[in-house]
Amino acid sequence: MLEAIALTKSYGAQTALHPLDLKIDRGEVYCLLGANGAGKTTTINLFLNFVEPTSGAAKIAGLDVATQSLESKKHVAYIPETVMLYRNLTGLENLEYFTALSGLEKYSEAQLRGFLRSAGLPKDAEDKRVGAYSKGMRQKVGIAIAMAKKAGALLLDEPTSGLDPKASNEFSELLKRMSGEGVAILMATHDLFRAKECGTRVGIMKQGRMVASLSTSEIGHADLERLYLQHMHD
Amino acid sequence: MVSIIVRKEITEMLRDGRVPWCGGIVLALLAMAFLAGWARHRELSQQHRTAQEATRRHWLTQGQKNPHSAAHYGIYAFKPKLPMAILDTGTEPFTGVAVWLEAHKQNEFKYRPAQDATMLARFGELTAATVLQLLIPLLLVIMTFGAFAGEREQGTLRQLMSVGVPARTLALGKALGLMAGLAVYLVPAAVLGAGALVFASGAEEGAASLPRALWLAAAYSLYFLTFGAIGLAVSAWVRSPRLALVCLLGFWIFNSLVAPRAAVDVSKKLHPTPTSFDFAETIAADLAGADGHGTSSERAKRLEEQTLKQYGVTKLADLPVSFAGISLQAGEEHGNQVFDRRYGELWRSFEQQNRFREWAGLIAPLLAVRPVSMAMSGTDSAQHRHFAVAAEAYRRDLNRRMNDELRDHGKGKDYGHLVGDDFWKEIPAFEYTAPSVSWVLDRQQLPLLVLAMWTLVALSACYWATTRLRVE
Repeated sequence: MLEAIALTKSYGAQTALHPLDLKIDRGEVYCLLGANGAGKTTTINLFLNFVEPTSGAAKIAGLDVATQSLESKKHVAYIPETVMLYRNLTGLENLEYFTALSGLEKYSEAQLRGFLRSAGLPKDAEDKRVGAYSKGMRQKVGIAIAMAKKAGALLLDEPTSGLDPKASNEFSELLKRMSGEGVAILMATHDLFRAKECGTRVGIMKQGRMVASLSTSEIGHADLERLYLQHMHD
Repeated sequence: MVSIIVRKEITEMLRDGRVPWCGGIVLALLAMAFLAGWARHRELSQQHRTAQEATRRHWLTQGQKNPHSAAHYGIYAFKPKLPMAILDTGTEPFTGVAVWLEAHKQNEFKYRPAQDATMLARFGELTAATVLQLLIPLLLVIMTFGAFAGEREQGTLRQLMSVGVPARTLALGKALGLMAGLAVYLVPAAVLGAGALVFASGAEEGAASLPRALWLAAAYSLYFLTFGAIGLAVSAWVRSPRLALVCLLGFWIFNSLVAPRAAVDVSKKLHPTPTSFDFAETIAADLAGADGHGTSSERAKRLEEQTLKQYGVTKLADLPVSFAGISLQAGEEHGNQVFDRRYGELWRSFEQQNRFREWAGLIAPLLAVRPVSMAMSGTDSAQHRHFAVAAEAYRRDLNRRMNDELRDHGKGKDYGHLVGDDFWKEIPAFEYTAPSVSWVLDRQQLPLLVLAMWTLVALSACYWATTRLRVE
């Protein structure tokens, strides 16, 4: 569903991402680990075609994102570290707007409210302007937008950073549910525990290179942490 | 999809306090300008009508008088105000609206409000034209600077692009939203303006102004479209809303303050016009002094010889007509040649200055919309000249009639020849018809073309910048 083929990005002499090969199938949750500046966000930006690859290609559902940009975006939903919404619109209006612009499905108001509720947004917040929302509430609207899109692939850029443990846990449950429905998920995160918990595979990145990639079923949480720290110290 | 974007843009605009407030203020100013224009128009046209009637009445009832004395007595001619002048007072505060038509002299215009005004007049009276030319572009700057740059800074553009919205659709939605937002202010303003027009002049004359009003609306639409498109283009192109605002305000200041001032100064340098005092001196010198036909005493001598020869007599006393009438008319004709030459030079310089300013519209759209606005309001310098020419033709005809009367019926009495009210009645009153819209349009081709070019360039820039929309 998500595929990187020798995907490379350089800014002048500096290489942000060394050739990366990655394939994430339906139902898989791939967690990208690494320090800040390791190339996690660059990878996600390349999949979203926010930046152009220097060489290689990123594909979503078999579509090259650089040449079939709009088409490929129909198959993917994106939740950034902080979901950015229109502060003068309510949570419901934001969801309605982004959903309508994805141009895939036409939902009734009740259905839209249903998405907000299953994303965990308190009922009384639905009709409040987003300007008054906490970070967690914005994140939940972002999740609702992603759910409403019913995309085959999900790109997540540290979506749980700054969330309280309960919200974070709910988010993990959601990921499990979505992967169970056959969604391919690529998530950049700092949270080793979360990665082990809901990821099917993890990749450790360092200075633009994928230095390790393994299945979470092969490794315990303590071993994953040791492996991670070992790579960071090298 | 476009309609959804338009709806969201309008909702946001209404909920964000800035645009309704600024727009409300602009609309209030516009309404005030219309009301003030309407009141001014009503008062001035009333004054002009009264004065025009008075000057005619005085002429008709001036009693027993020598025709040449009557010519000295003269009459006033008032330039009628078109109802459209409510919108734009144009050059009238500087050029004046009334001229005294008397013997021997082509006078300059009087009643220039600018003469009596304080320094504040430099900033211009609050007219609808000021609001349309300066404040609505400012409103457009406020409405557009954040269109893309603001979303880019807030991060919503990232979210938006991730769902796969074509940048062109987004741009179209925003442009239409902007237009709808502006229409909220401009439609009531246009209705108000039309109302003021009809109220000031009656339905018939108001309806006659329709072609002028439509051209004016078209010119301002192009002007606003230009500003809106430039705003969207800059907002799409530069990274931050702050930078977009700085760029757009810079352009606004250049367009509304720097360029007009500079265009006036440069046009005066390139095509200098004499001061009012120097001009009067030159004319006085020309009238008195030598020209191609010799000095004034030589001219008088030659006229005498010619006249005697024409009538086949040897003494002036033997002439069957009054020589005073002939001599006065000859003086008029000599004067007219001088006036034609000197006023011709002056008007040519003014026209060259105007033409230069119209070309300067290539660097600032205000300089392209302004002449069209004045022309359609009937207050530009071309229509001032049109009136001046008509008034001068009337003056010359009036003087010729007086001199002919003196020549034909004043034999032996010359300046002692008196005529009465019956003769005054034979002189038609001064009537003036403003030029047609096609006459006006003919002279506005360059500024309209420049304006259309600005719109085209701005729209292309908008298209170009939005198709290359960057997420960050």
